[in-house]
Amino acid sequence: MEDRGGHSPSMIRMWRVYRTAKEMCLDRGYDVSREDCDISLAEFAHKCQREDGDPERTRLHFSCQPSPAMLQKYAQLPTAKDPDPQPAIGTMWVEFNGDENVGLKQLRDYITHLGSGSFYSGIMICTKPMTGMGLKLLRSAPHIEEGPKGGVEVFVEQDLLVNITKHELVPKHVLLSQEEKKQLLQRYRLKETQLPRIQVTDPVAKYLGLRRGQVVKIIRKSETAGRYASYRWAI
Amino acid sequence: MAPRSILKNSTVSTNGPPVERPVNQRHMETALHHANIIEQRKIVEQKVLENVIVLMDFPTSSDADPTRPSPADALLFRELMLPFQPSDYDALIEERNIAELCGYALCPRPRRKARTRAKKQFVMTDSGPEIVDKKLLEIWCSDDCAKRALYVKVQLNENPAWMRQDGYGDKVELMVENAAEHTLSLPIRLKKEAAPVDNSKSDEDEDAAAAWAARDDALADLAMERGEKPGRLTKANKDLISKTIRERVGHTAPVAPSLEDQISNAHMAIEGHIPRTSRPQDDDDDEDANEIDWDKHLPT
Ligand SMILES: [Zn+2]
Repeated sequence: MEDRGGHSPSMIRMWRVYRTAKEMCLDRGYDVSREDCDISLAEFAHKCQREDGDPERTRLHFSCQPSPAMLQKYAQLPTAKDPDPQPAIGTMWVEFNGDENVGLKQLRDYITHLGSGSFYSGIMICTKPMTGMGLKLLRSAPHIEEGPKGGVEVFVEQDLLVNITKHELVPKHVLLSQEEKKQLLQRYRLKETQLPRIQVTDPVAKYLGLRRGQVVKIIRKSETAGRYASYRWAI
Repeated sequence: MAPRSILKNSTVSTNGPPVERPVNQRHMETALHHANIIEQRKIVEQKVLENVIVLMDFPTSSDADPTRPSPADALLFRELMLPFQPSDYDALIEERNIAELCGYALCPRPRRKARTRAKKQFVMTDSGPEIVDKKLLEIWCSDDCAKRALYVKVQLNENPAWMRQDGYGDKVELMVENAAEHTLSLPIRLKKEAAPVDNSKSDEDEDAAAAWAARDDALADLAMERGEKPGRLTKANKDLISKTIRERVGHTAPVAPSLEDQISNAHMAIEGHIPRTSRPQDDDDDEDANEIDWDKHLPT
């Protein structure tokens, strides 16, 4: 057990959120070091503690690059029009917003920031759920011209207090690349619409940043069959 | 006689291609009808979002007076209000408050700030001291703005714009001190304003002037087309108004209430009672609890 002495509850909370955020990026395939995910409370507090003992969130923002494996996973199938397509992934900017209320104002500022820093996508982590209008803008964000290509995701700190994918009852979810998806559908002679579905708002789908149209392989342990896999189509 | 296989008939795969069936015209129309409603809804929601974004940065001039808004601002505000429901209006106020602005979109002032961080605040009113929620206190810059903002809210159509029978409906009226400027024939105002072309004409004012000029041109063109003499007040107007008054008749026959709601909830019931947490969102008392009840606090 770690020494928690002297650290405020809000600091401990923020430390958990930060670690889960890093793990989430690592699990998605970004270049994140294991040490970053396992940062100790003391080290974390050293990094961001204010005089009043609370964490200073602006010192926690980070960006991450996709690993070579992730670039491969997000490779696009060549088409006649685009014989050598770019992978549909890039640098991601992760920001911790400490504002009491987050709405259109902050979201617009954030989207502008992503555009100016030429980030491919972004994650904003807020202290409280965003306003209804903010969520509406978020849903239409992929259609905003000046917005980042890979879209914007928003999490509430509460969602990241624990890493849900570490729970023993949550089976392993693995994203299939476009090529793997094509092979799967060919092998079973299926159309993608015939696969069972997973909503992109599902907590595990959100954790992995699934996009509409992607397919995940879900691997469960079974007492009778060892391990078995099923596939779901993200909608 | 051999027993019939129970398997053969049960192999209708839900994944297989749908069996060809003649298209039922009525079903087709129902499906289209619903698809159209969903489409309309998407359009309206997008429009409301865009309007909120415009109104977040309202009014156009930082020294605008909420009691005497500029005609251009007032007109745009009233137009942008058309697709709004009261809940959209609350959302607008929420967004303006987050940007530290007074909730009333025609007011450029910052919202009021409570003196302390306490949840309940003492305020002096005409009827003596009162205890008010900090949240309510910080929505507006003044009680006057609260009144003017509520005056707009009560006029908003409760029905979502995509369900309204007659388009978006009428524009809202504003509570203003300079009502004459907004209702009189507008080009006259331009002449009054054009006289002192001096000191601090902001860009917005110039834009407004240009807009008025464009409107005048358009009116002049229209008058020419109708064979009127330029410069004279239009006489043809009354011919354009249809004198035959038609009653509005409902288009669709009233539908008998269905039991669907109760049925869909039946599985949640415990010995006939549906626990509060399992009830659908649109329950009345839930809604009241969630909404910021700022109207209740208005000075009387
Ligand atoms: Zn005001």
